[in-house]
Amino acid sequence: MNSPKTKYLAFPYIVWMIGFTIIPLALIVYYGLTDKTGSFTLENVLSIATPEHVKALFLSLALSLASTVICLLLAYPLAMILRKKGVGAGSFIVFIFILPMWMNFLLRTLAWQTLLEKSGVINGILSALGLPGIAIINTPWAIILGMVYNFLPFMVLPIYNILMKIDDNTINAAKDLGANSLQTFLHIWLPLSVPGIISGITMVFVPALTTFVISNLLGGSKILLIGNVIEQEFTRGSNWHLGSGLSLVLMVFILISMALIAKYDKNGEGSTF
Amino acid sequence: MKTKKIKKWLEDFYLVIILLFLYAPIFTMMVLSFNNSKSRTQWGGFTVKWYGQMFESSSIMDALYYTLIIAFLSALIASIIGTVAAIGINRMKKLPRTITIGLNNIPMLNSEIVTGISLMLVFIAFGISLGFKTILLAHITFNIPYVVLNVMPKLKQTDYSAYEAAQDLGATPLQAFFKVVFPDIFPGILSGFLMAFTMSLDDFIITHFTRGAGINTLSTLIYSEVRRGIQPSMYALSTVIFITVLVLLLITNFAPENQTGIPASKAEAAMKKRRRNNNIRKGILALAAFTIVASVSFATYKKYASSHSNELYVYNWGEYIDPEVIELFEEETGIHVTYDMFETNEEMYPVIEAGAVQYDVVCPSDYMIQKMAENGLLAEINFDNIPNISNIDETFMEQSRSFDPQNRYSVPYTWGTVGILYNTKIIEERGLPVPTRWSDLWNPAYAGEILMQDSVRDAFMVALKSLGYSMNTVDETELTQARDLLIQQKPLVQAYVIDQVRDKMIGGEAAIGVIYSGEMLFIQEEVKNLGLDYSLEYVIPEEGTNLWLDSWVIPSNARNKENAEKWINFLCRPDIAKMNFDYITYSTPNKAAKALLDEDIQNNKAIFPDTDKLVNCEVFQYLGDEADTLYNELWKEVKSN
Amino acid sequence: MNQPLIDLVNISKSFDGDIVLDDLNLSVQENTFVTLLGPSGCGKTTTLRIIGGFERPDKGSVIFSGNDITKLPPNKRQLNTVFQKYALFPHMNIAENIAFGLKIKGKSKSYIQDKIKYALKLVNLDGFENRSIDSLSGGQQQRIAIARAIVNEPKLLLLDEPLGALDLKLRQDMQYELIRLKNELGITFIYVTHDQEEALTMSDTIVVMNQGYIQQMGSPEQIYNEPENAFVADFIGESNIVNGIMVRDELVEIFGAKFPCVDKGFGQNVPVDVVIRPEDIDLLQPGEGSLDGIVTHLIFKGVHYEMEVTTPDGFEWLVHSTDMFPVGQKVSIHVDPFDIQIMNKPESEDEEALGVNE
Repeated sequence: MNSPKTKYLAFPYIVWMIGFTIIPLALIVYYGLTDKTGSFTLENVLSIATPEHVKALFLSLALSLASTVICLLLAYPLAMILRKKGVGAGSFIVFIFILPMWMNFLLRTLAWQTLLEKSGVINGILSALGLPGIAIINTPWAIILGMVYNFLPFMVLPIYNILMKIDDNTINAAKDLGANSLQTFLHIWLPLSVPGIISGITMVFVPALTTFVISNLLGGSKILLIGNVIEQEFTRGSNWHLGSGLSLVLMVFILISMALIAKYDKNGEGSTF
Repeated sequence: MKTKKIKKWLEDFYLVIILLFLYAPIFTMMVLSFNNSKSRTQWGGFTVKWYGQMFESSSIMDALYYTLIIAFLSALIASIIGTVAAIGINRMKKLPRTITIGLNNIPMLNSEIVTGISLMLVFIAFGISLGFKTILLAHITFNIPYVVLNVMPKLKQTDYSAYEAAQDLGATPLQAFFKVVFPDIFPGILSGFLMAFTMSLDDFIITHFTRGAGINTLSTLIYSEVRRGIQPSMYALSTVIFITVLVLLLITNFAPENQTGIPASKAEAAMKKRRRNNNIRKGILALAAFTIVASVSFATYKKYASSHSNELYVYNWGEYIDPEVIELFEEETGIHVTYDMFETNEEMYPVIEAGAVQYDVVCPSDYMIQKMAENGLLAEINFDNIPNISNIDETFMEQSRSFDPQNRYSVPYTWGTVGILYNTKIIEERGLPVPTRWSDLWNPAYAGEILMQDSVRDAFMVALKSLGYSMNTVDETELTQARDLLIQQKPLVQAYVIDQVRDKMIGGEAAIGVIYSGEMLFIQEEVKNLGLDYSLEYVIPEEGTNLWLDSWVIPSNARNKENAEKWINFLCRPDIAKMNFDYITYSTPNKAAKALLDEDIQNNKAIFPDTDKLVNCEVFQYLGDEADTLYNELWKEVKSN
Repeated sequence: MNQPLIDLVNISKSFDGDIVLDDLNLSVQENTFVTLLGPSGCGKTTTLRIIGGFERPDKGSVIFSGNDITKLPPNKRQLNTVFQKYALFPHMNIAENIAFGLKIKGKSKSYIQDKIKYALKLVNLDGFENRSIDSLSGGQQQRIAIARAIVNEPKLLLLDEPLGALDLKLRQDMQYELIRLKNELGITFIYVTHDQEEALTMSDTIVVMNQGYIQQMGSPEQIYNEPENAFVADFIGESNIVNGIMVRDELVEIFGAKFPCVDKGFGQNVPVDVVIRPEDIDLLQPGEGSLDGIVTHLIFKGVHYEMEVTTPDGFEWLVHSTDMFPVGQKVSIHVDPFDIQIMNKPESEDEEALGVNE
């Protein structure tokens, strides 16, 4: 493995990537830049500028941004608490966060319908307690909830992992040098956990941006996200060219994410496991 | 000291809240698995019958088998390729390495739908027929990056001098790798494997686009059931999986450990313990996963051991046949049936068009049959092989002519109308008139109480009919008017749904909804069984409605055309048609079968409406690509408004 | 005596039911170099962490310059710690690391700059300001950790096995460096180590700890020459610890042979522990000393020979001598009276652990 030939071990995977990552993407690019007759056009890509697409894109951006922020705000203190408890039972607790992913995510999201509906479980409990009910089902709030629910583990795990790598004594050293809790957080915890945070943000933001299932199931299909538009072009509208063109637009955001990861998480420290 | 306690209490509280958030839906699923009612929204008493049904349902067991075997194989293969690749990447120079890692990130960051579709395009382009192997290839593709990302950091920590030392002591490079480096990076490989396994297990979208005939994973099976409601056996299965994994976790977590020696320091000892624990647990979980796969595959081995020369590939809507009918057909004819499901006509069409999967017999709706026929995707049926066609009511052969002018391509299977379902109690409480017209769906008094159909043609049908236009119009002004009407209606609409009208109405979630008549029998029985204090009534609006037909057709690329005809003939047999009606409750066009039904069902106007009620009704027609695009555009404008 | 700089009063601490410190009392005077010495798990690091504020004692109090700081968080204490594995902040460069404490205290930019320069000079790393942490060797990192601590001008510097990760040569250099720093800065050092040589070299006062108790406290010479119990004797340097009987004042009997000594007041015919350092044993011709034996082992150690002499009762005496006796040679053991250290036998294990606290 020290020999210079070792690097050729990556060769099979590179071939694999060419076959199953690059060529497929090239096909998407081809479809995105051609029309049904096969001639070159930018129309598919530019159609992002039509009012309904712009609206869907901005709504998607707003919702996925909101759920990313909420995930981060929920996950960071959670990861801190888990780290604290980590000694002894850490991995068990981490598995508790992965375990829901072993249940089918369609079923889990459908279950939220049962929970959130007007006469659903949560409102049943609330009214039994004499509290006013909540009416978020079929609103953007329900979609945000669904996104947070589905993607929270992807935020918790990288942050937890990066926090576990921080030596207790690094924290002690900061306190020893006079930093209070807030200063320690701002100067030590936060900068040291940046790779995990970035990884978490992309792992939440990208799937949230492109989801169509969550908005269908929890948004009552009243809210059209860019993911829904693309999905419908592929599955209902049968216009693969338009769908591919819009996908190309989405890829811009994905490229930004990749650039962020490359910049802040050079060593893959923020990987999810 | 006190503040510390409060802080700890707050932390625990926070943890509990988050766990509650994560597990609330899972508990809900568990509760639903014991629900005697099939409805998601009503409690119909306690039962364990779904657990029994789960094991009897070959579709669930097959899906479980494929889900596990694909998750396991793809994770395993990805672990091997990924580990080898990680070693290679680790030795690369900076630039190629950055590029490779960048490429590696693509499947993880790319939206799943793009990954799924692009892979499908490639499989079709390379002439790889969609099936088990394409799902596996796709899963391996999106799994490798997780392995690479987990192995790379461990490789960086590996001490190369140990590897050199091993060679110095006479080990070959390969031996040295397996004896020295491998144990070091093994935890990373295990994490990667587990992550890959989990991702594969949970994937729906990519599988959805890359699967072929006869193969369902749990995800795709569930999705195909979404239209007609999830079988509670699915909840039962999820509960079983959950409990199994949880028990395994608990066992591994609380397994006794022998501690040796005095720890250097508390924290360090705990750390070591934690790491060891972690590895053991991951190992055992991986092993458990394997055991499950192994046992399930053994159980299904017999089924797949024998190969079939006499085959039939059926492509039908989800939950649209009595499974016993398939078994009976196989018994009587000796033909092995590969049964597959789709959710919408539009989803089915490209599958047939692409020809990646060669189905022998498909059950699309009226307008889709016309589109398929016009595009040359259908074969003419040899009616000599279908003597039972005589059982089909002539009225429906007549109706069929609107999309199949010479009755050459299709044999009606089910039919029905689209109408308004309303909750008598809510209507009464609000002092509202009983709805009789589509335009009642624009009554502001129903704000937030309306459930609309979430499909282009159905939604526009409602608007067009209420405007007095044909639902097959291609006139742009008429359509624009309909669009404006739909936009105007949107604030009143609670949700656009397909299957869930049924469950939501039973649950009393909404006062009024647009629904397919075929659901009525189920709804009425369910309302009776649950003892609800309201009833749900069905009305065909005065302006007329969509009279729809789902019919069997044979694709032009079918390889077993005669078997397909045997299948159609079999389904036209009165006893078989009755069995199917009892199971799926959608109106049958089979007059002989209808005659076998109970009188009160024959007289149920929701299911078998009088023909004079159907005066203004139309059957959907295929309007051409251009009109399709226009409809879609306008619908998008409604949705995004 | 002056008021002590730090005073630990009746400190007890346990983790998950394991008692780590039990009723510990310790006073440290200003401007001294105090070493807490003991094997792993003896409670020395816990003691340091209690002083640093990272652990809170279950019982007892920590008095700093006359003020009770038991409940004060670490960031409010006027002392700094140098951690075992340096605990430098990996995301900051060297200057930023050193400036951390000063920035937190809101010192002016120019003051911080001066301090960084001064501190780097002090630890012999001038011009390293903008280097990253990864680019430093272990010894350099350690010196940065020290610089980071001392720029805050603490009254007390706590050092937790700071040289443990360094190689021998570097460790020795750093030992002198630390002594120099202490003298130049006039700061009180509390130093934790399990390395007795390190302790003997650097300390003004050594506190030997075992199982949560202080075994002995004194100058390096006192600790080495007059161990108060078998544990200290065994832990500090090499020694022969044998069972003896105090026949009367100034005479002890070992394996039937009588040795004159200088200890008194043990009573008559009382069993005792006798400690004799290997370099204090003189080997004479058979019959000339107090106890005869045979050389069973011989190693050349450079400055001296290390030999094992087995006496008829089977005890193997460790002997260091510049004279060489080959294996198999019959010899006789002689010890000067003032080189014999007599200790009471502990009556129970607890008492053995309690040592001088009684």
